[in-house]
Amino acid sequence: MGEVQQKNILQVEDLHVQYGQVQAVKNVSFYVEQGEIFGLLGPNGAGKTSTLSAIEGLIRQQSGTVTVAGYDTLKDSRHARAAMGVQLQSTSFQPELNVAEILELYAGIYGLSLNKQQLQALLNEINLSDAENKKFGQLSGGQQQRVSLAITTIHDPKLVLLDEPTSGLDPQSRRQLWSRIESIREKGNAVVLTTHSMEEAEAVCDRISIIDHGRIIATGTPQILIDKHRNDPDVIAVSRRGKITLEDVFIALTGSAIRA
Amino acid sequence: MSLTIPKTPAVLAALLKADYIVLWRNRRGNIMSVLMPLIIVFSWKGLIPQFGGAFVLANGITLGIIAIGLMGYANAVARDRDKGVFQRLRVSPLPLWTIMASRLVVQLSMILLLTIVVFVAGYQLDGILMPTAGYFVTFFVSLVGGALYLSLGQAIVGRIQSPETVNSTTRLIYLAFIMTGMLGQFDYFGVDFKRIVDWSPYGTVKTILAVSFEPAKWNLHATEALLLSIGYAIIFATLGIKWFKWGAK
Ligand SMILES: Nc1ncnc2c1ncn2[C@@H]1O[C@H](COP(=O)(O)OP(=O)(O)OP(=O)(O)O)[C@@H](O)[C@H]1O
Ligand SMILES: [Mg+2]
Repeated sequence: MGEVQQKNILQVEDLHVQYGQVQAVKNVSFYVEQGEIFGLLGPNGAGKTSTLSAIEGLIRQQSGTVTVAGYDTLKDSRHARAAMGVQLQSTSFQPELNVAEILELYAGIYGLSLNKQQLQALLNEINLSDAENKKFGQLSGGQQQRVSLAITTIHDPKLVLLDEPTSGLDPQSRRQLWSRIESIREKGNAVVLTTHSMEEAEAVCDRISIIDHGRIIATGTPQILIDKHRNDPDVIAVSRRGKITLEDVFIALTGSAIRA
Repeated sequence: MSLTIPKTPAVLAALLKADYIVLWRNRRGNIMSVLMPLIIVFSWKGLIPQFGGAFVLANGITLGIIAIGLMGYANAVARDRDKGVFQRLRVSPLPLWTIMASRLVVQLSMILLLTIVVFVAGYQLDGILMPTAGYFVTFFVSLVGGALYLSLGQAIVGRIQSPETVNSTTRLIYLAFIMTGMLGQFDYFGVDFKRIVDWSPYGTVKTILAVSFEPAKWNLHATEALLLSIGYAIIFATLGIKWFKWGAK
């Protein structure tokens, strides 16, 4: 395993994903280094979830390779999955289980065992110390989000994949989640997140890719992308009050039409 | 960088614990699967002199097994698939078969519980007492019947995606089995119909259960029914696994 491989926790090369006749992901390549928060931005139906699903092994790509922590996701899928923590766009658990039972289940699935104190510590960490007996469905959206992230990171994965983690959260919860995501980076692990919020991308992502119609159309740090497209007529045309934002660049690159 | 994959027994233990909790929390619904057989044991008391105690108990257990395989297993799998429960499990490093194995084990233990309840009810209500060996053979045979109906349930959730349709289909099949099972027994609709019922999944399971209470009476017909039951189970399981999709879409 070479230097480059070691540094790149995630390497996606020439990924193609197809559903029947629909080509959802075309020729997508990107990498994520350890200690990096990478954002995947794109309009509805752009192919963000499909890209993540191929990385997670939920769907099999038509072609292309994905390597997680050095493991090929097709040839070494269980090692690759052990190295990642995943939060799906919509998460669900058996509605009969309470929060403590769900945490225990997932700890067990990752080969860990939680004793009473460890469980309580985990619940304290997500400010849900008195929610252990509540059912997941009885929690608020923000509380569900916290439980879900706790499960995603329960085994301290090298790579954390979050599909629209902050959608539906209030500003306080969103900020708190950003800090949690940043603390994953602090440990040297990598994060890939998808979002529709340009503010979020600018606030937490070290690098982003903009994806549209299944293709990556731009990659870089938020600032580099803004600087690079600052003088494009399309960008200036959509900008407001003379200030160029990442959202202006995003809209100019992906067009202003609403996606079906 | 070394990374360890969780040990399969530990994974299975975690899944089993969760699935048993789910079973327990749904105990009211699951009692229905046991109630119907009890009604049979109770209300068919009058048939014992003519057909024997084994006949009554076998019919009761067969109906219970059908309810567990179709309603207990298939409906729960359809619901959880629709909610995305399996997709969340699948992104972890567990071997896929453990997800279903855990659920099947839980349903098989329901079937064992059912047979015990029917044995006890048969003794208490109808005074039916079988040779000791019979109870053991019946345990084993009810697991074969369980395998048949659990795999039929698997085939149904394999073929049908929507939980509502799975629900109505399993109910319909359950009712159909109750009707044909009861009527087919008694020659009302002629010999041909009775023969079809005899060799249907209902008939074969009922036959092997009835004989297993009195192992001394085991005959060629029972062996054929046993083999056919296993054959049905293999066919349904193969189709059920082949057709099955883990996700809602
Ligand atoms: N299971 C599926 N079967 C068929 N087509 C699908 C399936 N899943 C996604 N698609 C299609 O693939 C394309 C990409 O969808 P995807 O869910 O990856 O988009 P997305 O970027 O995550 O969108 P959103 O922001 O709305 O979550 C869309 O055209 C979608 O309709
Ligand atoms: Mg999506």
